[in-house]
Amino acid sequence: MLALIEIRRRKLQFGFVTGVVALIAYLIIMVTGLGLGLNEAAGTALLRLNGDHLAYAANSNLSVIRSRLSDQDVAEVQALAAAERAAPIGYVAAVIEFAPEESDTAAIIGVIPGSFSEPSVVEGRSLSGPSDILIDRAWVRVAGTRVGETLALPVGFETREFTVVGIVDQGYFFFQPAMFVDLASWKDLVFLGDAGQQPAASLVLIQGRDLDGVRGEGWRIVTKQDGFNNIEGVRAQQSTVDALRYMGLLIGAMVIGVFFYVITLQKVSLLGILKAIGAPGGYLVVQGLLQVLIVCVIGAVLAVGLALLTEATVLSSDTIPIDFTANAMATSSISVVIAGVVGSLLSARQVASVDPIIAMQQQ
Amino acid sequence: MAILELRDVSRSFGSGARRVDAVREVTLDVDRGEVVALEGPSGSGKTTLLALAGALLTPTAGAIRVDGDDITNYGARSRTRYRRDRVGFVFQGSNMVPFLTARENLLVVGHFGGADRSALRRRADELLDQLDLTAVRNQVATSLSGGERQRVAIARALMRDPSLLLVDEPTASLNFELGSRVVDALLSEVHSRDKACIMVTHDDRMAQRADRLVEIRDGRILADRPLP
Ligand SMILES: Nc1ncnc2c1ncn2[C@@H]1O[C@H](COP(=O)(O)OP(=O)(O)OP(=O)(O)O)[C@@H](O)[C@H]1O
Ligand SMILES: [Mg+2]
Repeated sequence: MLALIEIRRRKLQFGFVTGVVALIAYLIIMVTGLGLGLNEAAGTALLRLNGDHLAYAANSNLSVIRSRLSDQDVAEVQALAAAERAAPIGYVAAVIEFAPEESDTAAIIGVIPGSFSEPSVVEGRSLSGPSDILIDRAWVRVAGTRVGETLALPVGFETREFTVVGIVDQGYFFFQPAMFVDLASWKDLVFLGDAGQQPAASLVLIQGRDLDGVRGEGWRIVTKQDGFNNIEGVRAQQSTVDALRYMGLLIGAMVIGVFFYVITLQKVSLLGILKAIGAPGGYLVVQGLLQVLIVCVIGAVLAVGLALLTEATVLSSDTIPIDFTANAMATSSISVVIAGVVGSLLSARQVASVDPIIAMQQQ
Repeated sequence: MAILELRDVSRSFGSGARRVDAVREVTLDVDRGEVVALEGPSGSGKTTLLALAGALLTPTAGAIRVDGDDITNYGARSRTRYRRDRVGFVFQGSNMVPFLTARENLLVVGHFGGADRSALRRRADELLDQLDLTAVRNQVATSLSGGERQRVAIARALMRDPSLLLVDEPTASLNFELGSRVVDALLSEVHSRDKACIMVTHDDRMAQRADRLVEIRDGRILADRPLP
């Protein structure tokens, strides 16, 4: 196999190209990971809710922030035959001071304690009183809060102390770590002092089938995934990340293409000699593409290794929202290999078009 | 018996005012076991004539037969196969695959199909021995001396046991002594294996070692005489 022998004997040249391919693939894997991480931060807490559909206020345009459901809306949704289980849920953002002069925003989600909508704890116990709060691991990483400690949440112009009784693994909503309180306490957090106007919930979480598109006067139901896609910014964020990935692949294809084109140009006279002594053009094209394939596959494997290393070291602190999945890594690296092969088709044409007569013309 | 027969072969390049008639109505036969030295000034058409015989170029007029087969109108695939199986080329410059060893440069012809690899390996070792290259057989091509390189080129041309050898200035880059050894190696291969050979040379002392001398000027054969 001429292709393999050449790679083995020209390690420096091919090593260099492999390195460049690896860096491009690494970049694409990182961008993809960042996209997944951003999505996670945008709303895993919503995706991990223990239901498959969500009811929003009809006039909310599927915005969790704007969705306000009345007692009657909630009762109507709960009465639906297709809804096996349905529980009202409230959302509000709250700034919490966890140390003197140190505060951060959390997504406070109100649930009915003991209902299916309350997430299970990974540490501590479930909600049992109006001053209990469950906090997400993400908050623990940021603030270091532990079970048994108290957090002061703003209620009206005052603050109210909540006791951390358990830790959950629900992730983020709106880039804020999720926290869970009794739905009644949520109402206080949002609307204290305006009892007449108090809504019952932001959303209703539902378990059931064939509910997508069902609507009432004041509410409408969509799938949980649709709800996620409609979180403000998720779509724009997704298309930005996609654009970055496609640009990365395009630039990768071009860089790899140019590299192999230059390598091919350097070999034109050799290719002419090989053709003159009887090498079929197709054989030489296959050898060239084989080299591209080998370089791209090794580059992609190196990139995956580098990404895993990055994840284990630099990113272990978890302040950067990057998330690697095996699936995303496989897709990214396969895309790079395909981009490399596409980019080098120009070289393949060049190889095919070398005229063997040049073997006689060079001095 | 003629292995190579050229009949009124012409080849021109370009057209109109830029037209160059590189080879004009050349008729030439080369017999089995015969080495023809082709001599002529620069630009007289020597390389073009070799390229025509080796199916690297097609003639604009005339006919070329090799072993009785008319190769004039061969398609691209047949020409590739013809060059692979029936012609041995030795080019003017360095024409090794630079990253392969001397021995691998001989075996390279086995990569293009149509040959028994183990037979080729035996043949390669035999040729390396005959051309006094056994000591350098595992040296990479770029580290070989000019004379060694030209002998490897001759060995490679002989690998598939072609009936026709086309050799373009095999000694151009060598001094007289080295050049003579390369030509001697070539002559003994052609004679012992009954091949037909055209050897282009500028050097009259090399030409005198051939069986026949053909002189070419402006694409035409000027003289064609046997040598003692
Ligand atoms: N591809 C081509 N296009 C145009 N003209 C060509 C081409 N190949 C050869 N020629 C012309 O044909 C003529 C013969 O060229 P050729 O290479 O056969 O000469 P030569 O006898 O081998 O010369 P040298 O001793 O310098 O190698 C020259 O005038 C050359 O410029
Ligand atoms: Mg010439």
